[in-house]
Amino acid sequence: MKKVSIGGGQGFWGDSPDAAIHMVRHGSLNYMACDYLAELTLSIMQRQKLKNPRAGYARDFIQLMDEIGQEAWEKNIRILTNAGGMNILGAVDALREMAHGKGLQGYRIGYVTGDDLLDRIPQMIADGCTFENMDGAGDFNEIKDKLVNANVYYGREPLMECLSGGADVVVTGRASDSALFLAPLAYEFGWEDGDWDNLARGIMAGHLLECGGQGSGGNFQYDWRSVPRMDELGFPIAELTQDSFHITKAPDCGGLISEQSCKEQFLYEVHDPANYITPDVTVDISRATITNDGPDRVRIGGIRGKERPEKLKLCLGYHAGYKVVTYLSFAWPDAYEKAQYAADILMKKMKRKGMQYEDLRIDYLGLNALHLNVAEVDEELIQRMNEVVLRIAVRTREKRDAQLLIPEISPLQLNGPPGASFFGGRAHVTDVIGLWPTLIPRDAVKLESHIVEVD
Amino acid sequence: MGLIYLNTLAHGRSGDKGDTSNVCVFSRDPGDYEFLKRVLTPERVKEYFGDMVRGEVIRYDVDSLCGMNFVMKQALGGGATHSLRLDSLGKSMGSAFMRMKVDTEW
Repeated sequence: MKKVSIGGGQGFWGDSPDAAIHMVRHGSLNYMACDYLAELTLSIMQRQKLKNPRAGYARDFIQLMDEIGQEAWEKNIRILTNAGGMNILGAVDALREMAHGKGLQGYRIGYVTGDDLLDRIPQMIADGCTFENMDGAGDFNEIKDKLVNANVYYGREPLMECLSGGADVVVTGRASDSALFLAPLAYEFGWEDGDWDNLARGIMAGHLLECGGQGSGGNFQYDWRSVPRMDELGFPIAELTQDSFHITKAPDCGGLISEQSCKEQFLYEVHDPANYITPDVTVDISRATITNDGPDRVRIGGIRGKERPEKLKLCLGYHAGYKVVTYLSFAWPDAYEKAQYAADILMKKMKRKGMQYEDLRIDYLGLNALHLNVAEVDEELIQRMNEVVLRIAVRTREKRDAQLLIPEISPLQLNGPPGASFFGGRAHVTDVIGLWPTLIPRDAVKLESHIVEVD
Repeated sequence: MGLIYLNTLAHGRSGDKGDTSNVCVFSRDPGDYEFLKRVLTPERVKEYFGDMVRGEVIRYDVDSLCGMNFVMKQALGGGATHSLRLDSLGKSMGSAFMRMKVDTEW
């Protein structure tokens, strides 16, 4: 029976390349998919592209391909990625140059354009599109002149077209994470619209793989000590046939594939398990099963699918002001009390200088900056604290307000309570990008698949 | 046993979408699942987090996995970009959840 094996090579932009390299070398794969895009990534890439027209994609992918692209090609492992980000053509050019330099004549690069709708927003407004926020908050008129990027999440079809055209690698922008994995599975097994259960299986294969190491023992709350060789953590691999679905990993690497490691990833960022919405299919995992099936091998079952949603999700990024984060550290004795006093000094100074802000946070790292009001804090703990780091974060509408705080931090080493130490370098103001998720009709989107061959 | 940390009986993971935090919780021992369903009501979870979670808490059960999925709205201080929290993505919301104390004699 036909079996297709696909690996998850990257969990995000900035992930380690080690597991992807290992699985290409040792994993007996048919496909590898590399996810680089989180919710905010495209807004960051767009700003990079505005500064440098050659930037705006995940350069890491080109470095990864420089390392294993040739070996993958020789082994007929086809690779899919959304590393194209906001500059798909830039990524394709860099790949072509790399492949040409290695003498890979005939190497076929597929790519998909059309997810970037920023230039079409005014026309869509004129056509009556209201861009209501899916989360129900805010007025679109307040952000429509501050847009940074507008990208639509799309499904498997244009990626499958690239595979049909013989692409050895497929580069996209905002293809949905799981579509990178579903596309090769649907292509190999011939799954079509209407075959919802199988499409849902393909999506869940993607879901278990798209976060890389988080599907194979990374960020494993169940029993992190039991995960072997985290320094050589392998990433998960899905093996599917028409009627079976397993998760495993490559031989000779660290990590863990178990019922519990798969469970933690299975529901990760899924809202309603009976209605997990993707562009390709509405997935129902409310009766799914996850069972151990040998060492580092887990069987997934009971996944069902329903009709795909009528609309597609468009995510708009917009300028939402400025932010600055600063740190000062204090040691025993009275570490916490001194840090609180320093915060008080800074707040008085900011008030005197007229700083206007939208939001402000004062936190104490080492005490409760992560668990906030569910952290357990008592007088004895505070008295015994060896050290604490004061963190002040401010969000402002105007840049100059955020800037006011910066020059006042380091002087507190000399002018404030004793033992203050400047921590983390001089702060700088960063742009705040807001995200505006909305739904648009499918026919508002024209995606195009292309292939170029390396000469 | 009385009051114990949820961590002893359960495990899970937290993720984010905008200002929504999503924590999945699984029973370590299937035998404890019905107990966990009884004590981990959305109301109780909402009360536990207090100001950290300003919106509604919805619980979805996945009995076949002995798991529950908690969707908590307005839970990340404004979401990844607006949030001024150190943990703006709520990566530690899972462990924050697990330090809830549950009464095993309940």
